Amino acid sequence: MLDARVSPCVELSDGALVDIVLKGDSEAYAKLVARYRDRYARFALHMLGNREDAEEALQDAFVRGYRSLHRCGDPARFGSWLLAILANRCRTAGGRNSRRERRFVSAEDRHYAIALDHPADASALREEIGRALSRLDVDQREAFLMKHVEEMEYEQMAVVTGAGVSALKMRVKRACERMRRMLTEGEDAPAR
Amino acid sequence: MRQHDESDAAAEVDDVLKSAAEELRRPLRIDAALFDARVMDEVHRGAGGFRERMARLTRPRTFRVSPLTALAATLVFAVAIGAGVLALRPSRARVPLSDVARAGAGSPLVQFGFVAPNASSVALVGDFNDWDPKATPLRAASTGGVWSVEVPIQPGRHLYAFVVDGTVWRPDPAAPQATGEDYGEPNSALTVVAEQGSR
Repeated sequence: MLDARVSPCVELSDGALVDIVLKGDSEAYAKLVARYRDRYARFALHMLGNREDAEEALQDAFVRGYRSLHRCGDPARFGSWLLAILANRCRTAGGRNSRRERRFVSAEDRHYAIALDHPADASALREEIGRALSRLDVDQREAFLMKHVEEMEYEQMAVVTGAGVSALKMRVKRACERMRRMLTEGEDAPAR
Repeated sequence: MRQHDESDAAAEVDDVLKSAAEELRRPLRIDAALFDARVMDEVHRGAGGFRERMARLTRPRTFRVSPLTALAATLVFAVAIGAGVLALRPSRARVPLSDVARAGAGSPLVQFGFVAPNASSVALVGDFNDWDPKATPLRAASTGGVWSVEVPIQPGRHLYAFVVDGTVWRPDPAAPQATGEDYGEPNSALTVVAEQGSR
């Protein structure tokens, strides 16, 4: 049963919800799950390349987040803290699946050039973007997604990833260069 | 003219990336009801109590390891025993601690120690007790500010830390730190090796 303070009509802040959960109302955690579910599912999908692994990593992150909630140093930034857990789960799952992914990529190995003049072909476009993304190394993919898809500031990315701002800028720059090449020239050499 | 063409090309490339990012920003819909139910089911099961979780942890399991991993684990164990695992612990703890203690057929007992002369409480938290600061308090020695506790822990690699006075998280200064694992804070790493013949 939801605490009276967690009325569906009231949009509580992350910090307030974390506080309520820590006081023993585990149902309030459902609000946090609903708040971040879709956005972080997208991040996990782009990191891992398939829906099943993404949902598993996201579920694992939410459960680990709940069990470690008392370690969330700044409840107002629960979202960033959870993203750090999710990014780590994605790295672990990505490493486990990398062999399978490489086999998939090589079996489907084809060159595409993005056809921006023909936006109707959205499915091929999505496929090619996903393929390019999967060929970035994990650091570059993570940085690119955080910067250009999640639209995070470098300082926030540094908190989430534990990497320095300078290193993150470099990762984003290299990721952009490789993505450009792959999407315009069909370059598909593995990350160096 | 050539400069104009290059400028157009650069803009086109930027458009390519911009379009890619926009495509990647498209919302992803998952089965919210099913997903939320699965998460909250795990949350409620996890809230079932420390005993239940310990029962799951101590349930006999079969581990599949590659021959290389098994060889590496055997070597690490042999070296640790040969050199005396006590050497891994700090002299500043000044208590006879060991990473691997023998506990018959059950999980190995592992003794943890932490020096905190001014603390009013110290607790052990780790993946083996769901990071619960109330689950495993350390006992203070009569002098020296040394706190210790002995805990049965399943073989494998574990992360842990100490909680001082209920709020301050500290890694074990005597153990290797495992940074960047899950929570962005340093934890300590511990590998417990099952005694040969105990399974």
